[in-house]
Amino acid sequence: MIEEEVTAEHTDTEESWFTRLIMKVQTPEMKRNVYSTLVSIVLALLVAAGIMVFTGHDPLEAYGALFLGAILQFDKTLYNATPLVLAGLSVALAFKCGLFNIGAEGQLYMGSIVTTAVAYMISLPIVVHQVVCLTLGVLAGMAYGFLPGLLKAYRGAHEVVTTMMMSYASVLLTQWLVSQGPMHNPGDWRSITPVIFDSATLPKLFGSAFLNWGFFLAIGAVIFVEFLINRTALGYELRAVGANEEAARTAGINSKRNIALALGISGGLAGLAGSEEILGYYHRFYDGWSGGLGFDGVTVAVLGRNNPWGVLGGALFFGFLKAGGGNMQTFAGVPSEMVNVIQGLVVLFVAAPRLVDWLAKHGVGYAQVLKDNPRVGAPQFALLIYSIFSIVFSFLAFNVLSIINLLISLVALAYLYMRDEFGVWLAAITSIVWILLGVLTLAGVSIAFVSIMIGVVGLVLFVWYERVREANLNPMSQGGES
Amino acid sequence: MIGWLIRSTLQMSTPLVLAALGGMYSERSGIVNIGLEGMMLIGAFGAVAATYYTNNPWLGLLAAVVAGGGLAAIHAIITVKLKGNHIVSGTGIILFAGGFTTLMLEVIWQARGVSDEVTRVPQIIIPWIQDVPILGEVFGSLSPIVYMMFLIVIASWFVMYKTPFGLRLRAAGEDPSTLDAAGVNVETIRIIGVILSGCLAGLGGAYLSIGFSSRFGKLMTSGRGFIALAALIFGNWTPVGCLLAGTFFGFLDGLQAFISLNVPSLLPYNNFIQMIPYILVVISLAIIRRSVPPKGVGRPYEKEHRT
Repeated sequence: MIEEEVTAEHTDTEESWFTRLIMKVQTPEMKRNVYSTLVSIVLALLVAAGIMVFTGHDPLEAYGALFLGAILQFDKTLYNATPLVLAGLSVALAFKCGLFNIGAEGQLYMGSIVTTAVAYMISLPIVVHQVVCLTLGVLAGMAYGFLPGLLKAYRGAHEVVTTMMMSYASVLLTQWLVSQGPMHNPGDWRSITPVIFDSATLPKLFGSAFLNWGFFLAIGAVIFVEFLINRTALGYELRAVGANEEAARTAGINSKRNIALALGISGGLAGLAGSEEILGYYHRFYDGWSGGLGFDGVTVAVLGRNNPWGVLGGALFFGFLKAGGGNMQTFAGVPSEMVNVIQGLVVLFVAAPRLVDWLAKHGVGYAQVLKDNPRVGAPQFALLIYSIFSIVFSFLAFNVLSIINLLISLVALAYLYMRDEFGVWLAAITSIVWILLGVLTLAGVSIAFVSIMIGVVGLVLFVWYERVREANLNPMSQGGES
Repeated sequence: MIGWLIRSTLQMSTPLVLAALGGMYSERSGIVNIGLEGMMLIGAFGAVAATYYTNNPWLGLLAAVVAGGGLAAIHAIITVKLKGNHIVSGTGIILFAGGFTTLMLEVIWQARGVSDEVTRVPQIIIPWIQDVPILGEVFGSLSPIVYMMFLIVIASWFVMYKTPFGLRLRAAGEDPSTLDAAGVNVETIRIIGVILSGCLAGLGGAYLSIGFSSRFGKLMTSGRGFIALAALIFGNWTPVGCLLAGTFFGFLDGLQAFISLNVPSLLPYNNFIQMIPYILVVISLAIIRRSVPPKGVGRPYEKEHRT
């Protein structure tokens, strides 16, 4: 590495950037991050599949429809991703500076309403019009983010609450503006503005009905944010304040100014998201047009681990989900809200990166035991599989006892995975409950039968485990392993 | 009129105070809980769902408490056991709760906006007070949950400051290493605190759906969880503070309805009146100088580190 730096003057700046990029992608930390994110997504999809089964839908059919819908309408995927990239960058930038811009939705609305106003009230020549609209939209968003930033920096006001409150306020304000206020389209019964001038619209791409030049804006924003955060002095200061505000202040950085600035730029990005949506697709502002894009930005930022390129990836993923969601509803009957559920699950799983570590640590230990000592490991593994079956069955049985058993089985699974004795006892309890359910149930003979069978299997496994354990504890007959 | 105003204040404050108290238990133990909004929402949903199936609103209340506590348990596992980021987890909770409850609206009632009507929690009616001038309007017929709120505030004050559990809870938030040295399991205390917060928030949500109205509506909490959070901060993380701040914001909430009913000339500006609570929360947060949260809030406790 040292040689690279010494010879840097002799090589192209581009080449050393590229080499550095390759090296960065190959670091173990990056690999771990990617791996961890992928596992989180898979886990979220699994839990969502569980919910689908619980509500009587077929997850394979649903995911198939989702996938097909997104691939076949790839332009829609890219279109959906565009505002998500910008909103995600907004939230990610704030996160980098230690701030939580949960109110991106409000900044989005403010940017979009200002853009719409300029886009339909004034007529300007073609490129000028778009630039002016977008710029004013960005400035509006910036102002709306700057205010909570100031309050946080100088009054210590918790930015989560202030940005949220301002978000709700902006929804109400824009609603009034387009229903009873001056921006209402005359004679229209809807809460909507007049259509914007053609000169203000962003042209569509490749003949698509959705994808437009806003997409390039989004890519540009990714590069801009990456440059700002990693290559400029301001970005360095913002990151320093985010990492340790007191240390930054000791180093002479004006943390208050930076906090306000960070939320301001963050707001500007969100405002840009709103503006490009209006100019690129909607061509007018109607009440509630954004179905929560601001919040989606939070999920995208979390998924992308606040890294601009990660945000791009995350936005593409969620754009994918959204594009396929409609298909999922039409062909598999799963309501499109399921996409929101998946979003929430992804955020929850990503919020706990240690979960992956935990899985890996115990998984390795488990595999070791199975390899070294199969006689002891086999009944443990059998019980583990049993608890998984128990969970699946409790989804299918769908009554109060089975829900209780679902919870016990889930906890049992966790303890069994850790090879803790407690898990074995819990598994035994679930077996008893299954037998009980079978005996008591009036929900059909087949369920009762299966339930009793499952319970019996469980008890057999439990007995097997205990026999192996006792044989092992007897030092005289065995080699004293445990 | 005054009686009506007081009554609506009590009604609007109840969910806010309950959720704020919940937030207090969590934050005092050191775990930031911005997912109150989601816990309220799932409580509201759970209440309606349970009442729909059992026709018993009291079971609905129980279901709300359990649902809120269950969702909070997830937050607890992520933040306490898995040392995840508190704010991210809270956001995930809100997103999940919003998506899940809206999904369930479709699944159970095939509805996209509101559920079917269910039995409300029966009001407590005090017939002899109804003729008294102002008090009559307030206390004549009031939801039992409002009374529960007052009882819980008093109980919380007692628990927080007069019981060993409350002391441990506060210690877990202020200086967990000292608590650990005293032999108490910090993680368990924090988990209990978070689950309690979910239970109370769920109860607050239940009031919205089966105490005040009689249905579940899509995303019906509309920011009240965040207003409760503001009330918690405004009330300096104490039970009485939560009550006062929650009542203040509840008053603003009711004022908005009051104006739209009694000053109809302002009706076209209804949106601005609706904005008042939100704006005033921002202003009040700006006015109070950085209030003092529990010292150890937001930092995961790890035994290996020495603070």
